[in-house]
Amino acid sequence: MFRKSFILMISLFMILFAGCRRTEEAITFAVGGAPNEIEFWETLVKEFTRQTGIKVNILRQPTDTDQRRQGLVISLKSRKADPDVFLMDVAWVAQFGASEWLEPLDDYIKNENMNLDVFFNRVVNLVDRYNGGLIALPVYIDGGVLYYRKDLLRKYGYSEPPETWDKLVDCALKVQKDMRNINPNFYGFLWQGAQYEGLVCNWIEFAASNGGGIILRDGKIKLNLPSNIEAVQFMYDLIHTYKISPPNTFTEMKEEEVRMSFQKGDALFERNWPYAWALHQSEDSYVKGKVDIAPLPHFPSGKSVSTLGGWHIGISKYSDAKSKAFKFLKFVVSYETQKKLALKLGWNPGRKDVYNDNEVLERLPHLAKLKNVFENALPRPNLPYYTQISEILQHYINAAIAGKLTPEVALSQAEKEAQNVIERYERK
Amino acid sequence: MSYRTFSEAKQSYTFILPLIIFILAFILLPVVGTFINSFFRDISFLQRKFIMFGNYKQLFNDPGFYGAIRFTILFIVVSVTIEIILGLIFALILNETIPFRGFLRACVLLPWAIPSAISARLWELIYNYNYGLANFICIKSGISTGPINWLGSSVGAFFGLVIADVWKTTPFVTIILLAGLSAIPTELYLQAKVDGTNFLQRFYKITMPLLKPVLVVALLFRTIDALRIFDLIYVLTHGGPGGATTSLSLYAYKYYLAGDFGYGSAVSVILFVISFTLSIIYIKLARFGESGI
Amino acid sequence: MIEERFKSVLIWIGYVFIAVFCLTPFLYMIVISLSSSPDFLTKLGEIEFSFKNYYSVLTSKSLHFVDYLRNSIIVSGVSAFFCIIIAGFAAYSITRLDLPGKMLILFLVLAVSMFPQISLVGYLFKFMSSLGWINTYFALIFPYIAWILPLSLWILVSYFAQIPKDLDKAALIDGCTRWQILLKVIFPVAAPGIFSVSLLSFIFAFNEFMFALMLTIDYRSRTIPVGIALFQGLHGEIPWGNIMAGSTIAVIPVVLLTIIFQRYIIQGLTRGSIKG
Repeated sequence: MFRKSFILMISLFMILFAGCRRTEEAITFAVGGAPNEIEFWETLVKEFTRQTGIKVNILRQPTDTDQRRQGLVISLKSRKADPDVFLMDVAWVAQFGASEWLEPLDDYIKNENMNLDVFFNRVVNLVDRYNGGLIALPVYIDGGVLYYRKDLLRKYGYSEPPETWDKLVDCALKVQKDMRNINPNFYGFLWQGAQYEGLVCNWIEFAASNGGGIILRDGKIKLNLPSNIEAVQFMYDLIHTYKISPPNTFTEMKEEEVRMSFQKGDALFERNWPYAWALHQSEDSYVKGKVDIAPLPHFPSGKSVSTLGGWHIGISKYSDAKSKAFKFLKFVVSYETQKKLALKLGWNPGRKDVYNDNEVLERLPHLAKLKNVFENALPRPNLPYYTQISEILQHYINAAIAGKLTPEVALSQAEKEAQNVIERYERK
Repeated sequence: MSYRTFSEAKQSYTFILPLIIFILAFILLPVVGTFINSFFRDISFLQRKFIMFGNYKQLFNDPGFYGAIRFTILFIVVSVTIEIILGLIFALILNETIPFRGFLRACVLLPWAIPSAISARLWELIYNYNYGLANFICIKSGISTGPINWLGSSVGAFFGLVIADVWKTTPFVTIILLAGLSAIPTELYLQAKVDGTNFLQRFYKITMPLLKPVLVVALLFRTIDALRIFDLIYVLTHGGPGGATTSLSLYAYKYYLAGDFGYGSAVSVILFVISFTLSIIYIKLARFGESGI
Repeated sequence: MIEERFKSVLIWIGYVFIAVFCLTPFLYMIVISLSSSPDFLTKLGEIEFSFKNYYSVLTSKSLHFVDYLRNSIIVSGVSAFFCIIIAGFAAYSITRLDLPGKMLILFLVLAVSMFPQISLVGYLFKFMSSLGWINTYFALIFPYIAWILPLSLWILVSYFAQIPKDLDKAALIDGCTRWQILLKVIFPVAAPGIFSVSLLSFIFAFNEFMFALMLTIDYRSRTIPVGIALFQGLHGEIPWGNIMAGSTIAVIPVVLLTIIFQRYIIQGLTRGSIKG
């Protein structure tokens, strides 16, 4: 009797074990995104297998960036061999690098004779290096840009988009006042002010274009600066004083909300990532053919700043197929693949040379302007604990633009808390 | 029956051994492990180091931690109060002779039976700003003039959570109270009716006193449960907006996700200590009679 | 009497309120799962109703919904099965055999059931990763068994305690071993109790979230609650129709079990929470 149940239990375990077999032959590539993006990766992977004979399994992740990070953190922290190669948001490369979860790539680069100059150098040096060693490469780049309705600007007598923030305010006020007669939902300027990472990206563009931003020096963080206070005050004024940004800017406005509003024709200016361009030009878009892109405005004393976004590719330290994984990495950042990314998905390649390609420029003419923006895009601080600093900033900046705290109080509190975080994580 | 042979004693231990092993290995060991880990600096991108009370010192200066405590306590007080009251009302009704009692009982059980994650997703849709059921009802019935920003405002998110939690857990309270109600002998009611009391008086003089021990048990049980709330909040609000609805469990989890296992462990330990204290009180108060064991 | 009328009216109002309160969200879920757009309340006239969402959820491979369902059922079933066996043996020894420290064990087990999961999951994660079990069924089954044991034990103890010891004595005289008594005498007699425990164990394991969230990574071992919680669609546009369809499918087994066997569930919960 006892023996029978023992055998039963053993066989049950064996059945369970059977489900855990993993094929050592293929490499696993973890990537998330919208269904059309996944489809693209699947065709790409087939091409790779055709060229090299290496099989690739796509591990499909959710679309949400935090969930993608969660999945990778759990895999890497538990030292799993899968996924072998994966995409990382620019904001987490530092955490992954510092946690030593990424395989250093310098030797592979040398062995394969790859030229790193074709990538945006600033991006590679600021994001993809840990202790000097290369740990990732950019797949596509993102930077905040200003979308504007060229038809409306022309109608109201403006030949060019505004270069400074106060010119933007003047222009928006004038157009909004008149447009409200036809469209009561019309707003001058839409941007992302809800309490999430996007808010920090927007704030950096305001603050750094005034000479401010997140200043880190000698292990100390400085946020409570006059340039930053002025920037936050300006963000507050956009909503409450000039009223060219809607009241739900700080409660709901994220990328998609902003894009959809602008696409319906309800705004003059929009701050968003380059992905919106293709959608604005789609068949059922009200603003098709009426939109153009420009670098973001700046304060009189500063220069235009665009926050760096985008996704990078890296190899797991625990991968059991590193050389195969590197071949795939090389394939993804190759000229041909990057060109396909641009043409098929409208993504901005991590390689500079693709921006000069005739076919690409024909389909996506605005890429010429963007190349410059990306070359000077400002990354968020390359710290492994950046997400915690970001959460503090999100909380306080949102409170300030909601009117719950004054900009000075908000920034000085944020600075204090951020300093605590730094001290905690920098103590060796 | 007492031991007659050594083999009999051995047998009683072997019967209980698997249980002991499982509880020890997969519950007690992790708790002890978390406890020990809280004394270490355990961050994925730094060297692991013993720092004694380092994590706790940081914790006591952490406004986010206090925010989580404030929210958790407020949530427990509001949520559990409503659940007990509502559960009592439901139980009173189910205790009466009503047609299709089985149907009503099943209705009451359903919210409890489904996974909390699925329930949370459902409520996420109900609270949708543009087309959710909640705003539809509020506007159509005139409770509010415009759509309420449930999940985007701290007050809205708080009450959104409370309502969703009440919906999910009132069934459990109802069942417990119903059992308590059915244990009250009907002769007491009949006698009181003969004596000429009305039903309110019967409620206050008979039902409440006899139900009190069960009420206390349900109250404590729900409090301990609400203390560790995670699933609903993780899915419905993610602790937002801006950390306004972050419970202690969620606060610890966020640190685990950021790679800081030491700090997350410290938060978990604090939660454990609070919960354990309440559990001891619960066990002492419940004072189980040991008939026939 | 007026008072009786008043009371009846109150009860009827309460009756309707309970039914509406409990069922409305479910009805909403089903309606949305059948609609072509989640906007149905505002655009009542323009919505089409069909099973399209169900079809896409069940057939789309990259959504892995069927994998989640399979994982959930296997993990919950296996956990519940072993939990009953282990709890059954333990309950027997507590109610029948003279076990020193049995009250201590009972209360220890009770206290353990009230531990916050977050206090376990951190170390459990490290433990499981060192065994290489993350993202396998084992990572879930073992903790689940341990997690549902307390309630199962208490319920079975309360059922077993009511079975007269004379049955045991008679079987002993006939020369049965304790094993045989347990399996051939006690289990059959306590069948309703065993059944309650199976139902409750399965339901608890099926609904569990936090362990599944932290100890699994992808479709190979992920369960339904986590699958539905993390279900996303295009950039920010959440596919509510699909989510509700998936939720409805996931919820059907539990709902059916609850409706049909409500008596057993209620009995089990009651015995597990308060004595007598």
